[in-house]
Amino acid sequence: MTRAALLILPWFLLLLSCAAPRTRVVLLPDPDGHVGVVEVRNAQGGRTLDQTHQGVQVPAGKTPGAPEILPDTAIQATFGAAMAAQPQAPAHFILQFESGSTALVPASRPLLARIVSTIQERRSLDVSVIGHTDTAGSDEFNNQLARQRAEGVAKLLVEAGVDPRLLEVTSHGKAIPLVPTGDNVPEPRNRRVEVTVR
Amino acid sequence: MKMTRARSAFLFLAFALPPLSGAGTESIGSLRTLQGPVFLSRNGQERAVTQPERLYQQDVVRTGKAGSAGLLLRDDTAISLGPESRLALEQFTFAPAQGRLGLVARLFKGTMAFLSGQIARLAPNAVKVETPEATVGIRGTYFLVQAEEK
Repeated sequence: MTRAALLILPWFLLLLSCAAPRTRVVLLPDPDGHVGVVEVRNAQGGRTLDQTHQGVQVPAGKTPGAPEILPDTAIQATFGAAMAAQPQAPAHFILQFESGSTALVPASRPLLARIVSTIQERRSLDVSVIGHTDTAGSDEFNNQLARQRAEGVAKLLVEAGVDPRLLEVTSHGKAIPLVPTGDNVPEPRNRRVEVTVR
Repeated sequence: MKMTRARSAFLFLAFALPPLSGAGTESIGSLRTLQGPVFLSRNGQERAVTQPERLYQQDVVRTGKAGSAGLLLRDDTAISLGPESRLALEQFTFAPAQGRLGLVARLFKGTMAFLSGQIARLAPNAVKVETPEATVGIRGTYFLVQAEEK
């Protein structure tokens, strides 16, 4: 054994004797009451959490421990401040259009004023204006129409006094339908612009 | 009075929104709730933050003693931090029409609450939270993570 290794050895033993840092993960229901699934993994192994209040501890360099159900008091003591800092949920608005056109249906027009007031109330810095399509027709045609609709809505918002720098304007094509359908299905409710105020 | 308010609104926006520049500078969300000391590190420079502001990929958010922060990302993911925490937004890609989706956040230390958004719904394998000891893979939706410092 080299001299250097002999010098390092006591330090290494001291490190081992200290409490190893841990990662803790706890699963809780989301605001809708739905309990999801998370997987906690490292090079030594993995655990799945799929029940509410289930928690797992991972000591440095060790396999994640057996999941256990934790009481609310313990969860609050560690995570109360983080949970309390959760931002207000984003506000979603769905605008619908005349078929094949960039004209809003009459019922959607009053939403514009509500969007503007929500942006002001929240002092939002981040507003998405996103065109969506149904699954009928070519991707190219759909994407172009969805983008033109989103740009039209953005223009109306700017005319109503919204700072254009707040707006992200894009098309998500058919990737996020409001009503799930198979491919090549015309569905008026999926042809829409969604405005999200964060 | 009116003038002052307009001017302060302008100043607020001038600070909160950096001028539009070249590609790769797209915002990924915003810092919405701030309490106590909160710091934002961008391009290696850290500064204190007291007002909501936009976030970009690679930003690192740090809270001091008694500090907390709430982040809302472009796919509706909500991340909040407790005191003495440090989180890096390592990767954020939300382009569903192109099939490009990904979110990697790294909690170096402290406590975090994570409410998953649309990326986790569309591509669960593309969302991860890393800590010094483990990787958390997410199939939804709400969970807590604590990373102790070495």
